[in-house]
Amino acid sequence: MLRLEDLRAGYAGREVLHGITAEFETGANYCVLGPNGCGKTTLVRAVAGLIDSTGVVEIDGAPLRSLKRREVAAKLAVMSQVSALYFPYTVYDTVMLGRYPQMSRRLFGRVTGEDRDKVEQCLASVGLQDLRDRRIDELSGGQRQRVFLAQTLAQDPEIILLDEPTNHLDIRHQIELIDYLHRWTASGKHSVIGVLHDINLALRLTDRVLLMREGRIVAQGRFSEIADAALLRKVYDTDIAGFMRDSFEIWRDLK
Amino acid sequence: MKKSMRMALLLLLSLFAIAAGVALGSTSISLPVQLAVLSNRIFGTALPEGLPSVTPSILWNLRFPRALMAFAVGASLAASGTVMQSVLRNPLASSYTLGVSSGASLLAALVIVTGFSVLGRYTLPLSGFIGGLGTVFIAISLALHFDRTLENQTVILVGMVLSLFVNALLTLVTALSADRLARLIYWQMGSFSGSTWENVALQFAVLVVCVAVLTRYAREMDLMTFGEEQALSAGVDLKRVKLILIGISALLTGTAVSLVGVIGFVDLIAPHAVRRFFGSNHRLVVPASALFGGLLMVLADLASRTVLAPQELPVGAVTALIGAPFFAYIYFRRKRGGL
Repeated sequence: MLRLEDLRAGYAGREVLHGITAEFETGANYCVLGPNGCGKTTLVRAVAGLIDSTGVVEIDGAPLRSLKRREVAAKLAVMSQVSALYFPYTVYDTVMLGRYPQMSRRLFGRVTGEDRDKVEQCLASVGLQDLRDRRIDELSGGQRQRVFLAQTLAQDPEIILLDEPTNHLDIRHQIELIDYLHRWTASGKHSVIGVLHDINLALRLTDRVLLMREGRIVAQGRFSEIADAALLRKVYDTDIAGFMRDSFEIWRDLK
Repeated sequence: MKKSMRMALLLLLSLFAIAAGVALGSTSISLPVQLAVLSNRIFGTALPEGLPSVTPSILWNLRFPRALMAFAVGASLAASGTVMQSVLRNPLASSYTLGVSSGASLLAALVIVTGFSVLGRYTLPLSGFIGGLGTVFIAISLALHFDRTLENQTVILVGMVLSLFVNALLTLVTALSADRLARLIYWQMGSFSGSTWENVALQFAVLVVCVAVLTRYAREMDLMTFGEEQALSAGVDLKRVKLILIGISALLTGTAVSLVGVIGFVDLIAPHAVRRFFGSNHRLVVPASALFGGLLMVLADLASRTVLAPQELPVGAVTALIGAPFFAYIYFRRKRGGL
C-alpha cells in the first residue's frame, strides 16, 4: 500500500503540490485526472522521489526517503515517455536493464538465471520475443513503448506510476498499453497509478479516480460516485461531460 | 563474429600497433629484436650477436616508452570520452569538446610556469586532474543553467565558449612567461617525445584502476544514457554515481594532458567507432574504447613522426586533422535525424 500525507513539492521555490493526502491499495488501479498544470506530473515525480518533497510518502509502512534508491525501485517503477535515444541498445539489453535493482544487490552485479527467466517472461508478455536482437532505435513508436513496458515489468515493482506514456502513440497502441497493464494487475499483487490525458483511456484502466485542480485533490473515489457534470466543469473549466457525452454516461453508470 | 572474438581481435591489433610504433622510425627494428631486447632488460637474457650497440638503448629509452605512453594516453582519453558521452547523454561530448582538456592544461601550465610543487613529480598530474575536474563542473553547471535538458547544442556551445576562454587564459600565461615560452607552446601541441618509464607507469596505473572502476559502473552508465529520471527510477543512486564517473573521467584526462599536452578528438572518435562493432553496452564499450583509443593514438604518433621525417609533427595536430571533420560529420548526420 502507498500512503501519502500532506505531500508538498514544487520547482525553484514555487510550490506546485499543496499538500496531497491519499491512500492507494495494492491490487487496485488509480488514475489521476485534471487539467494541464494541476500538478499531476509533479505528483508522480514527488511520489517516485525524482524531485524533492516534504510530507509523508510510505510504501508498505516504510518511509520512501529512508530507503535506498534500488530498494525504492524494487517496489515502485515509473514509466514515462522516453524522448531521445542516442545510444542504440538492443531490445534484450534494454529490458535486462530493468533488472538493475535486483542485480545491483549482488556481488559484481552478476546476472543470474532468474534475471534471464524474468526478461524472457517480460519479452513474451508484450510479444517482443522475435525482436530481441533488434536495436531499439530501429523500432516503431509502439514497439518501442512495449520495450520500455517490458523493462518496467522486469523491474518487478509492486506499483507502476504512469506519467503520460501514451502521448506519442496512436490510439491502438494506447489501448494496447492500457490493456497490458490491466492484465498485469489482475493478479491482485500489483497496482498502476496513471496520469493520462485522455479521460476515456484513464477510465479504461480503472474507475478509481483522483481529481486534481491547482495542486490539490478536489475529489477522490469511484468515477460513478464523484462524476458529476458540475464538478468536472469546475475542475476543467469546460463542459467535459457535454464533450464526452455518451461515454460520460457509460463510465458514470459503470459499476 | 562474437563480441568476445572482436575484443580479442582488437587486443591483437593494439599489440600489433604498439609493435609497429616501436619498430618504425629513423632506424627500423624488427619484432624479434624488440622481443630480444625486452627479454634482455626484464629477464637478463643475452642479446643477439651483431646487434648495433645503440639499438637496445633506442628501444628501451625511446621507442618503448613512447609507444606505450601513446597507447596509455589514447586509452585514457577514449575511456574518459565514453564516460562523458554517457553521463551527458550526448554522443558529441568529450573532455576535449567540453573544454576539460583546456582546463587541465591551464592548471598544469601554471604549475610548469611557477615551478610550484607539493607532491614532487605528482604535482603536475594532480594539477591536471584538479583543473580538469574544475572545468567539468563549470561546463556542466553552465550548460544546466541555460538548458535543464542538456540539449546537444547547449552542451557543445558551452564547451566551445569555455574552451576558448580557458585557452585565452592559457595564452596569457604562456605569453607572460617568456623564458618557458617554447616549452609551453610545444607541450600545448601535444607530444610523446621524451616520455619516461615513470610517466608510462603512472599513466598505465591510472588507466587500469579507472577502467576497472568504470567497468564496475557499466550498468549505471547504460541506464544513464536513457535519461536521469529513468536511471533514478530504475534504482541508480544518481548523485553518487555521477560524481564518481565525472571524477574518474577528469582523472583520466587530467593526468594524460598534464603529461603529454592537449590531444583532441581521440576521446570522441574511439567510443563512436567502438559502438558500431560492440553495441552500446558499457561493459564492452569502455574496455573496447580504451583499446581502440590506444591503438589510434599509437598510429597517430607513428604518423606524426614518420610522414615528414625527419621533421616531427605535433600529434595533436594529426588527431585534429582527422577528428574535426569527423566531429562535423556526426553532428550534421545527427541533425538530419540519424543515430
